[in-house]
Amino acid sequence: MTLRRWLSWAGVATLVAVAVLTGMRPAGPSGDDDRAVAIAESLRCPVCQGLSVADSDSETARAIRSDIVRRIAEGQADGDIRQAYVERYGEWILLRPRGGGLGTVVWLVPVAAVLLAGTAIAVVGRRRRRLWRLLATEQDRNVVAAARRSRRSGDGPNGRGATGHDRASSRTGRVGGEVR
Amino acid sequence: MLTTAVNKAALGTTAITVGFAAAAFGVAYLAVGLWRCDPRWLRIGRRMVAWVLGAGLVASGVMEWALVSRDFSLAYVADNGSRSTPLLYTVASLWGALEGSILLWVVILGVYLAAMVRRLRRSKGFDPAGAWATLTGLAVAAFFFGLMLGPANPFAPVDGPVPTDGPGPNPLLQNHPLMAFHPPILYAGYVGFTVPFAYAVAALTTGRLDEGWLASTRRTTLFAWGCLTVGIVLGGWWSYEVLGWGGYWAWDPVENASLLPWLTGTAFLHSVIVQERRGMLRLWNLSLVTATFCLTILGTFLTRSGVINSVHSFTQSPIGPWLLSFLGLSAAVSVGLIAWRADRLRAAGHIDSPLSRENAFLINNVLFAGFALVVLLGTVFPLVAEAYDGRQISVGEPYFDTMTRPLGFALLFLMAVAPALPWRAASGDVLHRRVALPAWVAAIVMAAAAVVGLRGLAPVLALGLGTFALAVIVRQYATAIRAQRRSGSVGWLAAPGAVVRSNPRHYGGLVVHVGVVIFALAFAMSSAFSTDREVSLDEGESARLAGYRVTYQGVASSQEGDRDVTSARLLVERDGRRLGVYEPAVTRYPTQTVGTPSVHTGLWEDLYLTVVRLPDGDGPATIGVRVNPMVLWLWVGAGIMAAGTALALLPRRTIRSRSGDTPAQSAPVEAPHVPAVAGEGSS
Repeated sequence: MTLRRWLSWAGVATLVAVAVLTGMRPAGPSGDDDRAVAIAESLRCPVCQGLSVADSDSETARAIRSDIVRRIAEGQADGDIRQAYVERYGEWILLRPRGGGLGTVVWLVPVAAVLLAGTAIAVVGRRRRRLWRLLATEQDRNVVAAARRSRRSGDGPNGRGATGHDRASSRTGRVGGEVR
Repeated sequence: MLTTAVNKAALGTTAITVGFAAAAFGVAYLAVGLWRCDPRWLRIGRRMVAWVLGAGLVASGVMEWALVSRDFSLAYVADNGSRSTPLLYTVASLWGALEGSILLWVVILGVYLAAMVRRLRRSKGFDPAGAWATLTGLAVAAFFFGLMLGPANPFAPVDGPVPTDGPGPNPLLQNHPLMAFHPPILYAGYVGFTVPFAYAVAALTTGRLDEGWLASTRRTTLFAWGCLTVGIVLGGWWSYEVLGWGGYWAWDPVENASLLPWLTGTAFLHSVIVQERRGMLRLWNLSLVTATFCLTILGTFLTRSGVINSVHSFTQSPIGPWLLSFLGLSAAVSVGLIAWRADRLRAAGHIDSPLSRENAFLINNVLFAGFALVVLLGTVFPLVAEAYDGRQISVGEPYFDTMTRPLGFALLFLMAVAPALPWRAASGDVLHRRVALPAWVAAIVMAAAAVVGLRGLAPVLALGLGTFALAVIVRQYATAIRAQRRSGSVGWLAAPGAVVRSNPRHYGGLVVHVGVVIFALAFAMSSAFSTDREVSLDEGESARLAGYRVTYQGVASSQEGDRDVTSARLLVERDGRRLGVYEPAVTRYPTQTVGTPSVHTGLWEDLYLTVVRLPDGDGPATIGVRVNPMVLWLWVGAGIMAAGTALALLPRRTIRSRSGDTPAQSAPVEAPHVPAVAGEGSS
């Protein structure tokens, strides 16, 4: 059973890996057009309200788009093209703030917060669980096991915990969730 | 003419003054009643809510009258009305600008408070929690009426001589009917979160920190959440149909402002369930509710104070400092109260196993809170940075995409697994049985799609995780139907309905999840695979893109009131089949020129046409042609989410069992604090 279960999950994992690896293969060679669009998407349209150069129909955005295409044709690197615009308009033109200095805050704070919260939950949860386990005696555990056994024979393997909502129906002797 | 004009201003101002006075008196009466423990004072205080609602209705009624009768002696009408504006947009211009939108705000708040007081009427005798909740609600109402008496007076007379006509609403606000519905629905969501906030304050002040306040506000919170969801999506739809840049969501500050309370509100709807079941997360839930309320005020501040430039921001005014102070006050009161009661907010239970429903909800909350933090930082940071050292920084779409995508996928995964997890602890057996088949289905769909030619990590993952979530839900529903059927009381045809009726909240939630999956899939596909081109076409010339053929047939001009509409006639064919003539247009208003896209909406993809440049004389016109896949499914997904919310709002109906047992009540709180032994699965 356990082996079968492992094999089953290994199969799922293989399929997912195949899907992700196949899916990540680019559809065609990444051309200059894609580069131009990517750069345009990362620059703010200077005369619009919160639109990128790629999304805007304004004359300015159009001029920048053709300038980007020209610079790519000249062989400039993506970073250099962006830098040229930063020199002309300031950091403000970049829709994706650069790390370093003040811009680091927007990148680091959320990542740190989520990681910290996750760790805290794991640590506190484990500590609390250990505490409760210490408090439960062997006798308590037997009582719980007996109760579980009786429920299992009563109304299915998972009882009312099955879908987590059928409190009412299990009270009337009906199970909304799992019956096997 | 002049006399009626004066009367309208006087009438409106009187109504607002009455509203403010009623709210202030209500607060005072309730405070005295609470101080003296006297229900008579409380009853009078509660009655003030009717006056607040009435005053709000009268004031907005007067404003609508002034707008419709085009009474330009009022500054608001002179600024936002015009003789040539159609009736729908004239009525809708009540919420087209700042002062009017605050009128709408107090009316909606009045309705929510009236509904709250109606419920409270049933409680006999001295009810401090209800009184505190009413007091908080009235204090919020007093603030907004105060705004209209102070810096945002909707009935201010026009400066100088009364004009004979006005400029009309902002052009962007009068070329799509969605604008008539989007703001009121969004506001119904925003304002609705005042009610759970008021109850949270009541729970904190009275010290009744059990699950009672959650039960009292469950419906209102859910309703507000549903409205907010629909409001946000309608905003995106409006953006798509009107603004003409081809997208529906740009991580624009105003969009973000509406998304923030939605994120914390969604976290709250989930974590509430943990508190109801297990008595845990009390402090967290109170924090989430107060944060959600504060975020609605922050959103109003960002939208209405003119601190940010946005395509959705149509007002600039001096109310910024007022709103900011109110936000600071609300936050300080909330934090202070929670800190004061912190010792009583210890969790009674604990999480038995990482593989449990409650732990899934907890992770859900971390992810939603992280999501909200990303959006908040990205929205507010440029303002803060500029205030801090004068540097101008932009935080835009690429940042939000990078940061929210992993969170979105983690949430999708959780949404798939969590409904399959039992409370307390899952054994390996249970989990395997519930998840293995859906996981196989998802993996096969994912791999097949990739092999067939679906490209890009985001679309492949969205498809896989979405299928996974759907398969888990379908499996669970099917199992429940079979169980219902086996218990013998209902037939095959009745069983699916009976299962849902037995717990509309649970199944409503699952329907919302189905909507989310469809929405997420459409979002991923339309972001990844839209193609666009700009073409310059002479009359009679055609262009091809992605199987479509667009033929330019010349321009048509027309004069509608004060606006001058020039549209390009475009014949659209697909694979030789004629789809019709589409007319994207450029409209010249006296104040502004606005482009309007024309969209051919298809089941699987939209053809989105815009006029980029009108021809000079007989020269070529420049047309923007864009193919956006699956956009229709965004609106379908949102509709399903709304339907699920409505389902979850239904009262639980109990099915009479054959054995004649007592029908279960819809009591949402079960005795939660039963310590259990951890980690004893059946494996």
